[in-house]
Amino acid sequence: MLWRLALRNIWRNKRRTALTVSAMVVSSSLLILALGIFSGMLSDMLASATEQYFGHLVVSVTGYQDDRDFFDNFSPDPELLERIASNPGVRGISPRLRTFGLVSHGQSSNPGEILGVEPASERQVTRLQEKIVAGSYLADNPETGALIGRGLAERLGVNPGDELVFVTQAADGSIGNDLFTVRGIFSTGDSRHDNGLVLVGLSALQRLTVLPGRVHELAASLEDPMTAGATAEQLNRQLPEGLEATDWGQLLPEMQEAIAASDVSRLIIVSILYFATGLGILNTFFMSVMERTREFGILMALGMRPWRVRAMVLLETLAMGGVSLALGIALGLALSLYMATVGIDLSETITPITYAGGTIAPRLRVVMEAANFIVPSLLLLAVCLLAGFLPANRAAGLDPVAAIRED
Amino acid sequence: MHPLHRRTLQRLPASLALALVLFAPGFAAALELRELIRHVEQQYHGTSSHARTEMRVRTEHWQRSLEMEAWSLERDRFLVRILAPAKERGVATLKVDKEVWNYLPRVDRVIKVPPSMMGGAWMGSHITNDDLVKASHVDEDYTFTLLEESPEHYLIECLPKVNAAVVWGKIVYEILKPQLVPGTVTYFDEGMFAVREILFADVRTTGGRTLPMRMTVRPLDKPGEETVLQYQEITFDVPLTAAFFSLRTLKER
Repeated sequence: MLWRLALRNIWRNKRRTALTVSAMVVSSSLLILALGIFSGMLSDMLASATEQYFGHLVVSVTGYQDDRDFFDNFSPDPELLERIASNPGVRGISPRLRTFGLVSHGQSSNPGEILGVEPASERQVTRLQEKIVAGSYLADNPETGALIGRGLAERLGVNPGDELVFVTQAADGSIGNDLFTVRGIFSTGDSRHDNGLVLVGLSALQRLTVLPGRVHELAASLEDPMTAGATAEQLNRQLPEGLEATDWGQLLPEMQEAIAASDVSRLIIVSILYFATGLGILNTFFMSVMERTREFGILMALGMRPWRVRAMVLLETLAMGGVSLALGIALGLALSLYMATVGIDLSETITPITYAGGTIAPRLRVVMEAANFIVPSLLLLAVCLLAGFLPANRAAGLDPVAAIRED
Repeated sequence: MHPLHRRTLQRLPASLALALVLFAPGFAAALELRELIRHVEQQYHGTSSHARTEMRVRTEHWQRSLEMEAWSLERDRFLVRILAPAKERGVATLKVDKEVWNYLPRVDRVIKVPPSMMGGAWMGSHITNDDLVKASHVDEDYTFTLLEESPEHYLIECLPKVNAAVVWGKIVYEILKPQLVPGTVTYFDEGMFAVREILFADVRTTGGRTLPMRMTVRPLDKPGEETVLQYQEITFDVPLTAAFFSLRTLKER
């Protein structure tokens, strides 16, 4: 009976109901979209930091990641590689050797970081192959091929096919030096890598630095980056003495904080938007309750208990909230799906921003996360009930005689 | 005559004026000290010089020994080429004024050392590229105070001038009497901690000059590490022109 009354009341003033419902639909669907874009930015940032360079977790000599001491290198035996690969969720492992030195072409030279990699393994850990703007990625057997960041390439004035000289201090104290040929130029949007990173074949760099068979780190990618902490912990129990596994959260503490902070920011955005929506709903229901003062008086004079009046008004708000929610989620899902597959490219108007060790790409793109739907939904219902509570109380507290006499 | 005076007078004519200035009482002290430092820093240069040296480097990570041939002209031009070991033969460094180039025979390229790399080790030793460029200008970049004078030595403190682009916070020279050769030079960082010392030894008279033939560089923060530069032969006033110190000469093997 209450339900029927509530629904009938909702349909009585169709325009008001439509306005209230549309306010709730628009606010919840836009909220779902905004949260999705927010997640998209964070995932871009995390991907830029991990999938362009670090990997999700890194195995290296204990302490190496703090100061990158050239002599903290080790020999990765096949058994160790297998042990890491056997961990569930590990997608790929890339052995790397790193050195800093002088990259030079013709008269110009620049300090740079040289990373020796096996291209086939590296491709499973980082996605630089998707960031090539000229030339191509390193061949599987790169010999003297080199991949160079766009900023550095511009500074040196090199194009694919040009030669590079790399000079550094080798492990025996001699001046390690060799010629490389630019195979490709990458652009990640992260200026530190674009302006200073060069990738070459692992064996070529081992020869140059007189470190045969040695590496500085084994970078691994995982199916789910969020499990990196747990996987690193597990690995640390299995690794031989002197080696440690470090996950991206430890490598990039700012990034981890940014992601942890995102849950709080999500709640703040939702609260602000719903506060405004909530006031709108409150207004609507107060109006509808005031208009029906006489009606409530009659209902109560006929013997309806105050709690049933209260329940009826609350049911009205809940019904409208439910309908709005269904429509809002549907619209939000549609918008999110569109933005997840198509997105909006802003690279014409803004440049990439580096923040917390990651790069926010100049695009709007949605990453779907369950929480982005659940949080707005639950909160919308809560706001509805809260906004319905005051008018319902008012209706329930009416004195039937006075209410009937009111005009 | 004072015995010290007599001995100094027997020294080279080039040092004569210097010695007179130094030992004449009541002379402008700062000027004397500057001349003394200048004399010490240029002891291996002369107007021009040609030397063969051996450099032995010992670090935590490597030990190496290089044989080198070096030429210099005044204080601003300097060329050194590695003769041995075979793997590094032909690697050469040219310094003209404040710039340094390296020649790498393996890739047959000349690389200019950029400002950001001037603090880097030279040939894997404890000598930096900055040392090659700046050591010869200590007399211009620092002010001098005599800390101590004894019958055996002078101790001179050098503090950088306000605007001098130098890497040290302080340098203390110990200069031994009577030959006026350096004994120990101690380098302090900006926090006035002693971080490096150079010990001079094996004083001999060669090519008409009295010189320490061995120079040992010790980084004080890395005990056990050192670079020893041993002069095997050095001749002065050899016929060299500025044109010799060119990139073309640098690339000759």
